[in-house]
Amino acid sequence: MNTAPPSRAAESDESGCYEIRLHGRLDPRWSTSFEAMSLTTGEGFTLLRGPVVDQAALHGLLHRLRDIGVPLISVTRIAPDDATRPPHHHDTPTGA
Amino acid sequence: MPSPLVRTKLFIPSVRPEMVSRPRLLDRPRASEIPRLTLVSAPPGFGKTSLLASWVEASRAAGRAVAWVSLEETEQQPESFWTYVVTALDDAAPGVGASALTLLQGAHPSIETVLTLVLNELITRPEGLDLVLDDYHCADGPAIAADVSFLLWHMPPQVHLVIGTRADPALPLGRLRARGELVEVRAADLRFTLAETASYLNEAVGLDLEAGDIAALEGRTEGWIAALQLAALSLRGRDDGAAFIAGFAGDDRYVVDYLVEEVIGRQPDDIRRFLLETSILERLSGPLCDAVTCRDDGRLVMEQLDRSNLFVVPLDDTRQWYRYHHLFADVLRAHLLHEHPGQVADLHRRAAQWYAGHDELVPAVRHAVAGGDVELAADVIERSAIGLLRDREEATVRRWVDDLPYDVVRRRPVLAVGFIGALMSSGQLEGVDERLDDLERVLADPPADTVVLEPSVLARLPGTMETYRAALALARGKPDDTVAHADRAVALAAPGDDLTVAAASALSGLASWGSGDLMAAHRGYSAAVEGLRRAGNYSDVLGCSITLADLQITLGRLDDAVSIYEGALRLAAEHEVGGPMRGTADMVLGLGQIAFERGDLEAAAAHLRRVEGLGEQCGLPQHPYRWRVARAHLLEAEGDLAGAVALLEEANRVYVGDFSPDVRPVPAQRARMLVRQGRLAEARGWGREAPLSADDELHYVREYQHVTLARILLRQQAAQGSAQELQTACGLLERLRVAAQEGGRTGTLIEILALQALAYLARHGRHDVPGALALLGQALRLAEPQGYVRVFVGEGLPMATLLEALVREDPSWAYARRLLEATRPVSKPVPARDQGLVDPLSGRELDVLRLLATDLDGPAIARELVVSLNTVRTHTKSIYAKLGVNSRRAAVTRAAELQLLTRAS
Repeated sequence: MNTAPPSRAAESDESGCYEIRLHGRLDPRWSTSFEAMSLTTGEGFTLLRGPVVDQAALHGLLHRLRDIGVPLISVTRIAPDDATRPPHHHDTPTGA
Repeated sequence: MPSPLVRTKLFIPSVRPEMVSRPRLLDRPRASEIPRLTLVSAPPGFGKTSLLASWVEASRAAGRAVAWVSLEETEQQPESFWTYVVTALDDAAPGVGASALTLLQGAHPSIETVLTLVLNELITRPEGLDLVLDDYHCADGPAIAADVSFLLWHMPPQVHLVIGTRADPALPLGRLRARGELVEVRAADLRFTLAETASYLNEAVGLDLEAGDIAALEGRTEGWIAALQLAALSLRGRDDGAAFIAGFAGDDRYVVDYLVEEVIGRQPDDIRRFLLETSILERLSGPLCDAVTCRDDGRLVMEQLDRSNLFVVPLDDTRQWYRYHHLFADVLRAHLLHEHPGQVADLHRRAAQWYAGHDELVPAVRHAVAGGDVELAADVIERSAIGLLRDREEATVRRWVDDLPYDVVRRRPVLAVGFIGALMSSGQLEGVDERLDDLERVLADPPADTVVLEPSVLARLPGTMETYRAALALARGKPDDTVAHADRAVALAAPGDDLTVAAASALSGLASWGSGDLMAAHRGYSAAVEGLRRAGNYSDVLGCSITLADLQITLGRLDDAVSIYEGALRLAAEHEVGGPMRGTADMVLGLGQIAFERGDLEAAAAHLRRVEGLGEQCGLPQHPYRWRVARAHLLEAEGDLAGAVALLEEANRVYVGDFSPDVRPVPAQRARMLVRQGRLAEARGWGREAPLSADDELHYVREYQHVTLARILLRQQAAQGSAQELQTACGLLERLRVAAQEGGRTGTLIEILALQALAYLARHGRHDVPGALALLGQALRLAEPQGYVRVFVGEGLPMATLLEALVREDPSWAYARRLLEATRPVSKPVPARDQGLVDPLSGRELDVLRLLATDLDGPAIARELVVSLNTVRTHTKSIYAKLGVNSRRAAVTRAAELQLLTRAS
């Protein structure tokens, strides 16, 4: 938050869009807790998709998921366009 | 040092009566078969803490001590982490952490040293002890893992480490597993089996469910305990239990979401609201909840939640403080964020206000920042930062630097100065210049929105800022700039700002000390002590008194050093509150060192006993090593050289530096002791490592080391008779003498002159004793007014020989006679009746015998005693006859048996 030193956070090779697949259908209300990520659910699974500033932010997000006890299935880096597009054809978006 | 301890983190949780009994997990092997580390690693809600609490209960019933720490994210800081761990250990086994905690209170303690002290204490305790670190994932990271590994590998077998965590720790688990030193309990072990699920739901909770329903619940929750507990809560008092279970089992939503919604959906509205609003709190108490919810039933609700087992965990015995189970709190927060997003900031702000009003600064700032109220956070920090820095809690303030945007900080000059102080005391000097420059611009032309909470503090800023500039210059190795900035700081200091005057004067003194100008250093430190005294900062007066006395000793003014220590002790006694002031032990230790220097070994020993009685808590952070050094010198004087060397090695391990230059490094003191023991090769090894050479340019900071080198060279000459080494030593000593004399360092000068007298004797032998006596006479004349003894007596036999000659030449010189007398105990014959020999050894024979026990050869012994080689041979023959042996080795062994080699009492 400190604006005095120049920020080097946005190193291009670290930032990117990610898709995180979780076991179980998370309630849509969680989307407020994962600000920048979009939350969609399918049958028995949940997808979190969105931009991640750097590796530290990604690990922070994974820690948060660990702390709410929800089982992790996969973490995939995706193209930026895919992050905004609706997920796979058979998924049913229920996000807020 | 971290902020004040939160005692609830050391609270050992009790076992909940409704917990289901789980013999397969509870029946641990006997203590003697439990390996070093037990790891309970599983996601949240798997009953890790409950299992640990059950183990601990059994452990205590079996007579083992238990130290428990519930870690939080603040413990990612090693100093905070280890302060909690060592405090918990000390609570469990009183005394184990005393020295270590003293070290931890200093600036930048070495954690390995801290742990070595703790381990040394643990090893001496045969009783079993379990150290439990719960929620270890909060603290885990490279900074913590390395030292936990160190602890793990060095723990004595009666101590066990137990870790509860959500993620496997960064410890060498593979190696531990391979060696059979690890017991693991993982999620698969913790999940409730079908039988346990039945026993829990039907017996512990008393639900009376059908086998099919139980199987359905077990299948849907996969034995996850938190989910089963939530399910049990949902089922309690419900008529349509079977329907609920069927609905739950047929749903694919995240288990916790489904169940928490069920549970909180069934609460009355006011309780539901209470749960959501207080979910932002990490700890809950009645009054704090009242402040956040704007209600007055916080305590009642907490008790009610506790009774109905609604996921609150008590944090103390008196049920003042609770926390929500982490998993439950996370879901509640998600509900809150989703349902009342606009309220969250207000809730945090109210929590921040409450904490600020109760002087709990760390959570106050955390909530203010979380509530987006940076001005409130800045207010709290601005009011407390300078006080926290004075109490050496710079780590706390340092963390906040990153919490506030710079444009908020720069509008608040007092806060900005506090942050600069915190950055500097944490050793972070980068960018400090820019901050100071920027602040100077702000002060010269304050913007309209400048905030100063306490206008009287504003006048102090210029002096403080200039003091920081002095400290920066010192850290960058620019003593002249340091003195210039410090002088300016003293001039700029606001009237009555004694602390700034003291700090600037001390920096100036320190810079002068490092460059060898001891008079200026003395002036600086005197002004610092005076300022600290006026400011009422007595503990720091004691700290500076050590430096001041050290300077006086080097300047050859033992009387003045005694006055400093005695004055400081009087001051400490006048202002003590509930026991001796911290630093008292160091003052008494200093008096002991001077008594030792003056040859009064009994008084020195009495002072050291008093120090021991005062205990570590009365010592400053440097105390552990200073105490060992003083003990080592006393042991040496008593003839236990090996014990003295061992103690110095220990001193080196617990050595803690401060800002002062290390002018008497412990390794150099050890090298001197090795020389006296005749372990020359090791002493030379030190010189190579230092690295030192007789041709080095001389500098005061390394003076003690160069004198040590000269001693090694002299002793080498005595052992091997090499003229070249003698010449090198003489050249070095002469250069050292000139430097010490020019710098007014009379204390050092006396020692150098004494060594020069010995070197002269070695060079010219008995043919020119008067030349050696002239040098010794000079040393004695300088030493006499201050009553030095040890500097001469410690040189042993050759010095005794010279003193004898001096007394012969001038029998009326009482001081010389006193010194000669003081050398006697060393060569005084063991009384004939105590020798256990028919024909007792003479005093001279005992002298020779002691040298036979070293690695000196015959000619070297002759040089040492200043006699001919023939005389040595005669004595040796006589010794063999009296001891009934026929070799040097046998003589030494026999002498050791008869205890002839230790000093006669």
